[in-house]
Amino acid sequence: MNSMIAGTRSRREALNETQVWHVYARRKYEEPLHEIGNVMADDVELAKVYARSIYDEFSWVEMVIIPRDSIVTVIES
Amino acid sequence: MAGTHIDNAALFAVLSSVADNKQAIGRRYAYWCNGAPALEAAVAAAAMAQDELGHARTLYPLLEDFTQAESVPSQVEPMTRTLHYHVVYLDHDFQGWSDFVATNFLLDTALTTFFAAAQNSSYEPLRQRSRKIVHEERIHEMHADGWVRRLAKAGGSVRSTLAASLFRLWDETLCWFGPEDDPNMQSLYREGIIDATPDELRRRYLQKIMPTLSSLEIDVPVSFNADTKCWELRQSLPWNIWDSVTRRKSVG
Repeated sequence: MNSMIAGTRSRREALNETQVWHVYARRKYEEPLHEIGNVMADDVELAKVYARSIYDEFSWVEMVIIPRDSIVTVIES
Repeated sequence: MAGTHIDNAALFAVLSSVADNKQAIGRRYAYWCNGAPALEAAVAAAAMAQDELGHARTLYPLLEDFTQAESVPSQVEPMTRTLHYHVVYLDHDFQGWSDFVATNFLLDTALTTFFAAAQNSSYEPLRQRSRKIVHEERIHEMHADGWVRRLAKAGGSVRSTLAASLFRLWDETLCWFGPEDDPNMQSLYREGIIDATPDELRRRYLQKIMPTLSSLEIDVPVSFNADTKCWELRQSLPWNIWDSVTRRKSVG
């Protein structure tokens, strides 16, 4: 199991996949966007594809992705 | 029911090949649902496999409406069909993730070019399906473009493996549209079923894929003609080993 995890990590590193994107979506226009998960991708277009394919459990009316490194902490937990 | 059947051998032949390619792509993609380089890519592969098999499942039933299917009804059912008019590249399992990426980038984009040319088709069932497929394929194209860029920019053996996958699929994909005098594609063009000849389909296809390949300096035998603002093949295609009935390379 450890070797499998290490193998996955090395492939990720080889392809330089390090950027995390937070995925927000809403099902109705009267609802606010809320965080439904995240995806990892260094390419914004791939991040969009991944967000759509992973979080396809509902017919969302809106979905956006936000790069984690653009988030500014106001109150640290 | 016989009176309602369509007698169009050219359309039957091309639809058979499109359906077989979609079916084979879906099956090959399915093997990579748990083998992609990352979890996200694996989930996307599963979704794309579903899409491709779904496209095949909407195309095979069309074949039942043709008189050409009457003599061998088992050949219009994907479960009983023994003829396989998909490209030779899909005869075997993908050797690696780069084969998945190359298939998506080259072959699936070629099929989408065909569907794009059928969005105003005089054959209504194909017109309807083409519009939906072209819409769904936008996501596949984003996936293809993103992965070609990532593998190419990784350099070293990752890049060379991608280049090898693209090279293996290159000629056969370009041949799939047929030579300019291909009787089936020309028939479809004359009847308004598609809005382009084989050469025009190939020209449109190269305009779609070449900006990415060129920007990544992946060497393919294509040049940009500054006068016509078009990408043009530098080499002739291997028509001597391409079969116009099966729309694939001869094996052997």
